[in-house]
Amino acid sequence: MKIFRLIALTLILVLFFLAPFSGAAIKLKYITSIYSDDKGIALEQPEGVACDENILLIVADTGNGRLLQYTFRDEAIELGTIEIKLDQLLYPVKTEINSRGEIYTLDRRQRRIIRLTPEGTFIGDLRPTGLPSPVSYVPRSFHIDENDYIYILDILSERVLILNPEGKYVRQIKLPEKYGPFSDVTVDFKGTVLLLDGVDGMIFSASNGSERFTPLTESLKKYVRFPSSLTTDDRGRIYLVDRNGGSIIILGQDGSFLERQFDMGWKEGRLNYPAQMCINKKGEIFVADTRNSRVQIFKLVE
Amino acid sequence: MNIQRINLGYRALFSLCFIGYFILVAPVAYSADTFKLKPGARGATCLKCHENFKEILKRGYVHPLIKKGECTGCHVPHTSSHKSLLIADTTKLCYNCHQNVLPAKRLSAHDAVVEGNCTTCHASHGSDNRFILTKSGSELCFDCHKDMSTELSKLRFRHRSLDQGKGCLNCHNPHASATSNFLLKRDAPSLCTKCHQIEKLTFKRTHMDYPVADKNCISCHNPHGSNNRGIIFDVAHAAVTERKCRECHEGPPSLRTKLRATELCRKCHQRTVDLALEKNRVHWPLLDDVGCLNCHGPHASKEQKLLKGSVVNVCGKCHADTVQLQEWSINNKDNEALCEPVKKGNCITCHSAHASNNVLLFTQESVNDNLCGRCHEWESHSTHPIGEKVVDQRNKNLTLDCLSCHKACGTGNNKAMLTFGTTYELCIQCHVERRR
Repeated sequence: MKIFRLIALTLILVLFFLAPFSGAAIKLKYITSIYSDDKGIALEQPEGVACDENILLIVADTGNGRLLQYTFRDEAIELGTIEIKLDQLLYPVKTEINSRGEIYTLDRRQRRIIRLTPEGTFIGDLRPTGLPSPVSYVPRSFHIDENDYIYILDILSERVLILNPEGKYVRQIKLPEKYGPFSDVTVDFKGTVLLLDGVDGMIFSASNGSERFTPLTESLKKYVRFPSSLTTDDRGRIYLVDRNGGSIIILGQDGSFLERQFDMGWKEGRLNYPAQMCINKKGEIFVADTRNSRVQIFKLVE
Repeated sequence: MNIQRINLGYRALFSLCFIGYFILVAPVAYSADTFKLKPGARGATCLKCHENFKEILKRGYVHPLIKKGECTGCHVPHTSSHKSLLIADTTKLCYNCHQNVLPAKRLSAHDAVVEGNCTTCHASHGSDNRFILTKSGSELCFDCHKDMSTELSKLRFRHRSLDQGKGCLNCHNPHASATSNFLLKRDAPSLCTKCHQIEKLTFKRTHMDYPVADKNCISCHNPHGSNNRGIIFDVAHAAVTERKCRECHEGPPSLRTKLRATELCRKCHQRTVDLALEKNRVHWPLLDDVGCLNCHGPHASKEQKLLKGSVVNVCGKCHADTVQLQEWSINNKDNEALCEPVKKGNCITCHSAHASNNVLLFTQESVNDNLCGRCHEWESHSTHPIGEKVVDQRNKNLTLDCLSCHKACGTGNNKAMLTFGTTYELCIQCHVERRR
C-alpha cells in the first residue's frame, strides 16, 4: 500500500513541476459591462465596437442609430460619454478607428462606410477611387490596419479591396471560389490578410502582397456556429466571434485551436449573439454583446 | 540415429495420412450417401407435401435454385432459428449469393435493398415477371411510391418514358447508383440526351437557339411530368413560359444575363427589391454576386416562389446548425408542444427572407405582441409574468419576452422548446435564492 502512495505522490509532484512548461492557458477575465450612456439611455442591440491603443472606446449603438464614445481607464468607464448621432448615420454596425483617431463605421442600412472625425463630425462616405472593373461594390465588412490602409470585403464583386488611407485603390484579392458566404476580413501584425467564411467557419489567409487566399484552417464548425467577425492581437493570435454559439474562439497564428471562452446566456460573462470584438495592446477585450444590449469588457489573462 | 530416422518417417507418413483423410476421404465419406438421403431429398421430395410449388414451377421466371431442385439452398429441412426454416435471416439470406447488388461505393441506394427487404419487389420462388419481380414495370414501384403515383395521375403531361419500355427503370436503377442521386442511372443532361437528340433542329428551336445542351435539364423540366407543356415545372418564371428569354439573357448563342445579380431581377420585381433595400437589415445573400438566385431558381421550380427547395432546406443551406435544432425537435417523440412553424420547417413565419428592420430578420418588432402573439395568447401566460414592464433579472437592459425562456427555432430534447433541459434549471437562472 505504501508503495502505491509513494508512486502517486511522485507523479503528482512531477506533474506539478511540468505544468508551467505545458503551454500557457489563455483566459478572458470579466471586468465590467456597459449598459447605457451618461444620460441613462440604454444601449439597444449594439453591433460594433472599436478601441484604440489607449483609453478610447467607440460603441455602435445600432438599435438607437448612434455611436457612443467612452473612456475606459483603470478597468472602469469614466463619466463623460459623447453621443454621436447624425442624419447621415442610420444603422451603424462594424466600427473601426484609424491611427489618427478618425472613426469609420459601416452603415448597414445604407451599405456605406461613413467617415467621422475623432470628435464625431461627419467627413463623408468612403468613396474608393481608381477601382478596376467592376466598379460597383457592396461592403459586407472592413478593417483598417496600423498604417491606415483600408480593407473592404466586397461581396458583390467577390473580392477584398485594399485602399490607401486616402481611399485610393491599391490592389484587390479575389475571394476563394466555392466557399462562403464570407462575413469578415482583418489583417494581422505581419500584414497577412485573413478572411472568414461565416457558414463553414473556415479562415483563409493571403500573406502580405499575395494575390490569392489559401485555407489557413479547416472548417471550425465543431467550435463555432455562424462566426460573424474576426480580429487579431499583437502576437498574431486570432479571435473569432461566434455569433450563434455565444462564444469567443481563440486560435494560434497558424490557425490551431487554443481556447473557447464563454457560452450563450444573459448573465454577465455570457454572450447572446455577439457581433464584433476589439482588443488593445493592454489585452483589454471589448465585445458588442448584441442580443444582451450591452458591451462586455474582459481582460486577457495568460 | 536410425531409430530417430524411423520415427521421423513414421511421423511424416502419419501427417500425410491425416491431411489426405480430410482432403480426399472425408468429403466423400460424409457425402449424401452417409445421410442415406433418398433421391431428390434436396428439393424434389419437398414438393410431395408442398404441392402448391408445382404451380410456381410452371411460371415464366423461377429462381435458379428451385429450377435445379435445390430447396436446401435457402431452407434447412429439419429445424431453423429463422422463419420458414430459412438458413439465415430474410434480410441477409439473399446477400449470401447476390453480394454485388449493392456497390461498395454508391451515391444513392434503395432503402429496401439496404435493409435487405428484397421480397418487397421480388417473389422469392418464381413469378411471371422478369427477375422474378412481383409486378411488372412502374406498377411495382408505385406500390410503395404512392405519392408519386397520385401526383402523376393528376398531371396533364407525363414524361413519356414512364409509360414506355422499363417505365421508372428507364432512368432509375432499382438497387443503387454509384454515380448519381435518386438512384439515377446517370445525371442530367447525359441521362436525358440518351433519348432526346440535341442535334435535332426541333431541340434547338424549342430552346430558342440557346446552347443548353450541356445544362442541367431538371433546372426547368420536371422529369416525371407537369401541367405545363414541355413538362416545365408547374411553378415557372413567366419569362420562361412566355418564351421571353431575352428579357434577362443576351441573344443566343450567349447565355450571359443583361445585368448582374439582384439588379437583373429588379428590372421587373422593382417593388420587392426596393422594399427590401430600404430596410435596416438586408439579408446579405441578396446583395452578393448571386443575389436572388441564392434561394430562387431563375427558370422553374417544384416549389412556390421558384424556391430552390422547401423553405427549411433553402435556409438550411447556410443555417444548418439552426435547422439541426429544428430537426432534433421534430424527431423527439416526447416533444408534443412544438411550435407549428417549427414543426413544418416554415422559417419565414417569423423571419423575413429578404430584409427587415428587426434583429435576426424578425418579421415583427415585438416578439410577444406580434411574433409569438399571433398564435399564442401570451397575456394569459400562466407560468410567469412577461411583457415590456417586466425587467429580466439577468440583464437590466432586457425585458421578459417569450424568447427569455423559449428557444423559438427548437431545442432538441427540451420540453416546450425551453432553453434549458429542466424547469428547475431554467427558473434558477433568475431565482437564484431557490437554487438547491
